[in-house]
Amino acid sequence: MGEVGAEASGDPIGGAPVDEAPTPVERRRRISFNALLDGFFFVYAGIAAVWLAWLVFTESFAFGWFGILFFVAFWLVLAYLVLPRLHRILTTIYVPDYFIGRARTSDGLLGDPVNLAFDGDEASLHAAMARAGWTRADDVTGASSWRIISSTITRRSYDEAPVSPLFLFGRQQDFAYQQEVAGNPAKRHHVRFWHTPDGWLLPGGRRVDWLAAGTFDRAVGFSLFTLQITHKIDADIDIERDHIVDTVIAANPEARVDLLADFSTGYHSRNGGGDTISTDGDLPVVDVGAVQAAPAAGETEVAR
Amino acid sequence: MSVEKRAAFESPAVLVAPQPEPSMMRRPVATTFGAVLVVLRVLAGVVWLISLAVLWRKTLIEDLGVPLDSDLEADAGSNAVLAVVLVVGGIVLAVELVFALLIFRGSNWARITVMIFATLSITGSAFDYFGTDTEITLRTTLITLALDILVLLALSSRNARTYARRRKQ
Repeated sequence: MGEVGAEASGDPIGGAPVDEAPTPVERRRRISFNALLDGFFFVYAGIAAVWLAWLVFTESFAFGWFGILFFVAFWLVLAYLVLPRLHRILTTIYVPDYFIGRARTSDGLLGDPVNLAFDGDEASLHAAMARAGWTRADDVTGASSWRIISSTITRRSYDEAPVSPLFLFGRQQDFAYQQEVAGNPAKRHHVRFWHTPDGWLLPGGRRVDWLAAGTFDRAVGFSLFTLQITHKIDADIDIERDHIVDTVIAANPEARVDLLADFSTGYHSRNGGGDTISTDGDLPVVDVGAVQAAPAAGETEVAR
Repeated sequence: MSVEKRAAFESPAVLVAPQPEPSMMRRPVATTFGAVLVVLRVLAGVVWLISLAVLWRKTLIEDLGVPLDSDLEADAGSNAVLAVVLVVGGIVLAVELVFALLIFRGSNWARITVMIFATLSITGSAFDYFGTDTEITLRTTLITLALDILVLLALSSRNARTYARRRKQ
């Protein structure tokens, strides 16, 4: 949960009540100085990284065939250090931090569109998803990262593989579910869930408990904006949205669907990796509140 | 785990025992990476000190023209200077190593201090590079400069910042 908040929004982490003792004046001044210093280092490191990329690039011509290694190093520096940092700085300035129907990547770019909503408590939601044949994704940790590498090398399947973090309300997704496509690690169904803040209403005034973004990974490729290797998503995100709703409804007779038609009316754009997306803009609100939480684990075992 | 009756007082051993990780946040990769980079920076410093000690006489005699072979006083003096340089350098590197540990443990002031020194070092190299035509290649100072920039990038990232500023127990 580290990737909280953006720099320009007044640093919600530092602004939160951290200590109990100091008076408001003292606390405010200390934190703002810290934030100022951190902001300076953040930007300065970004500029220095550009310079480093340039130095590595020029060095790649000095070593003959070994220069290719430097060129790979140049790409690594550019794609995984320089561009993310520059995107982070720039999107902090110009991407609005309120709800615009899109999740944001850890670089601050616009990510997958929010195309699903759920009502019900967390246990019911987990039960409904498990019954519908979805597998909860692991969190990104050292152990799960290692398991991705080892399962890739040994070509074993890893159906709880973690998904990349996307951000809504300044928070990483609370959890994610996925379905593997038989024998193909490059393709998978996945959906991320965020709990909405208390009392928060959708544009239009509807109250929902959960927002979700479901997309289908169709291949692995280069991201257009950061040059990183990433999953490419299927352009027609409505297919995946309807797939998620259909599986949940089919497995949970208690669940009800209420469609907010034309919620994000037919916008066609790109996600954080530069993939085209298109949608009819409908937002299904799935009520899973009536789903019984307890017997879920046993039933999925039987179902398999 | 055995369940025993708890003592009426808190054991002082708790105070000196290693602190458990805060449940609020795991140590992010950026913090670990930053600490490892500082350690690498220390290793680069050790290599530099060793090469300085090995090449010390050669540099003085051939490049600077100090007649060490004929002048005993100068010889003794140069050895004393070398010893001082090595001791001071060793202390600086030892302190840096402690800072790496502190960063790994999540200290914010250690993180800020290391970032200040990295910034100064990068700025110095930049003045050399852009001001005085000094070339920065792998054979000269590219490694140390790259380490400085990577340290700054890692420690200034939002994850590392949040972790260093987390609520401490």
